[in-house]
Amino acid sequence: RRELPDGGARPSVAQFKQLVVSALRELHGEVGAALPVDVLTYEEKSLSAILRVVSSGLVKLWSALTLLGFYQNRRCAFRVLQTSPFLLALSGNSRELVLD
Amino acid sequence: AAPSRRYVLCEVVSEDPRCRQCIEDRAVGLAVRDAIGKVHGDYGLACCSISFTVKYLNAYTGTVLLRCRKDSYRLLCSALPFVRQLESRNLRYPCFLNTLHVGGTIRTCQKFLIQYNRRQLLMLLQNCTNEEERQCIQKSLLSCSLTEEQSQSGDEEDDDGTE
Repeated sequence: RRELPDGGARPSVAQFKQLVVSALRELHGEVGAALPVDVLTYEEKSLSAILRVVSSGLVKLWSALTLLGFYQNRRCAFRVLQTSPFLLALSGNSRELVLD
Repeated sequence: AAPSRRYVLCEVVSEDPRCRQCIEDRAVGLAVRDAIGKVHGDYGLACCSISFTVKYLNAYTGTVLLRCRKDSYRLLCSALPFVRQLESRNLRYPCFLNTLHVGGTIRTCQKFLIQYNRRQLLMLLQNCTNEEERQCIQKSLLSCSLTEEQSQSGDEEDDDGTE
């Protein structure tokens, strides 16, 4: 999920993907930018998305997202909420489970 | 433990004969670093630059010996085909790097280079079109001798005629 401190223009899906790819290009070069990353879902309101990547590319993707600081000259941050090899596991976040 | 290093031997190939004057350690080092930065990004550049230097350079034959860490030599080798030009003193010449040998020590690279240069001389002799060049090469082949202490001879041959 992305956090933008000020309410500015929200990026669209294509701009979001462009942002992810350019983060990979900065940190890992052309090899990183060529890593196949898919945006499976994207909610413009909450700025959250589900990304899919080859498991060998997870480290590159996560490090590139962590070190991305700017979007159109505005500060921003990526927070990774959950990672899992199975898409179904992302439907429930076990970190938010509350024990009675 | 001492950091182990890899030595990559490559040769600079260019169609432009003026490129030879551009072959100097700073120009080649910058060109290689630039290529690593483009291909592998900030992370790759930092990783490879830890122990990166141009150890040996021969402008006549275009031979370059690079040194890097063992952990990042793959990043270096995969970025070498992306070096497309050498730049020095505001002059740019297109060229490419041919990787000849990767070794763990300078000595193995030197042994390979001597054998490689010998083979190149023989090939040049075969492809000679000019009687004069033929005699020149034959003379240098006969004069190269290998002694145990200094195995430097036979490395340098100044013949741009058959490039």
